[in-house]
Amino acid sequence: MSKDLKFLVVDDFSTMRRIIKNLLHELGYRNVTEADDGTTALPMLQEGDVDFLITDWNMPGMAGLDLLKAVRSDPKLAKLPVLMLTAEAKREQIVEAAQAGVSGYVIKPFTAETLKEKLDKILGAVAK
Amino acid sequence: MANPDPVPLAARYGARIEALAAALAREDENGFFAVLDEILQSRKPALIGELRDLTCNLQVALERFRLDARLADFAEKEIPDARQRLAHVLKLTDEAAHRTLDLIERSGPPAERTTKAIQALASPWKRFRERRIELKEFHELLKRMDAFLPTARADAELIRRNLNEMLLTQAYQDLTGQIIRGVIELVHEIEAALVELARLSGGEPGTAEPAAPRSSHGEGPAVPGITQGELAAGQQDVDALLSGLGM
Repeated sequence: MSKDLKFLVVDDFSTMRRIIKNLLHELGYRNVTEADDGTTALPMLQEGDVDFLITDWNMPGMAGLDLLKAVRSDPKLAKLPVLMLTAEAKREQIVEAAQAGVSGYVIKPFTAETLKEKLDKILGAVAK
Repeated sequence: MANPDPVPLAARYGARIEALAAALAREDENGFFAVLDEILQSRKPALIGELRDLTCNLQVALERFRLDARLADFAEKEIPDARQRLAHVLKLTDEAAHRTLDLIERSGPPAERTTKAIQALASPWKRFRERRIELKEFHELLKRMDAFLPTARADAELIRRNLNEMLLTQAYQDLTGQIIRGVIELVHEIEAALVELARLSGGEPGTAEPAAPRSSHGEGPAVPGITQGELAAGQQDVDALLSGLGM
């Protein structure tokens, strides 16, 4: 899978965005942009050059689940890989995200290995 | 105050009032005051009861007043203060995390530089140890070693300094912990005042419906003992759940 993939990392905490960005760099992905909630992320996605979305759930403004639903209902974005990276750990929420079409779900706190494993799995599935 | 006594007034006081009037007509001072004392004596318990009720009401009113003043103080001063203190906690944790991330990001390049330099030295060094090195390469190795030693030392020192600073940055836990503890204490006081207010108002605790959480917005990290519902125990649990759903 190409390391030129463009990632969009959406989280309201700048430290978490920075941690994820650092981990992506470590994995060789250098093309990473950021947004602090769904409302700012959606127009960036609609611009059309994002290849992979990593989003938190609990954010002020537009929450991650609503962003996921907006992405899936937009014909241009419907197939975009979306990884939910969140502290929301209720089983019903995980099921809700799955039903909304999430590509992967990682709960915080997470490890670098987990992130890598999920990225590889999603990108592997996309490549098939 | 309404008199709950079902016995009519005339039956209770008629005879005494007549005796009182008779004594007055006779100008019988001793007789008059004896009957009057008797009447007053019979009223004493009722008076004391009324006085007791009055005192009790006054006490409730005073408690209420004290509580109202305390609640006003909470609303006007202490809650806004607490909000500001928590905002400061957020700022301190944010700064500490960014500072730590700065130091981590600054430690990566020197560590990487050292690793690369060691890798570059490894094979000529191996040839040297096996006495297979050519003179020209040997001189090259010496030159590289001369350059490597001070650089590696400086890089290691830089990393050690960064680690020390990361250590000091963790002091935020102490500072924010103290502030949060103060806010917990305040919340406790407010809770006590509200319970007291509910008691004075005669409200039954626990009868109101709790507000429904906004689930699409998420609820934030689970808090042990508070968060309701079935929680995933960890990433493995999440993975099992999702694979059960066919993902």
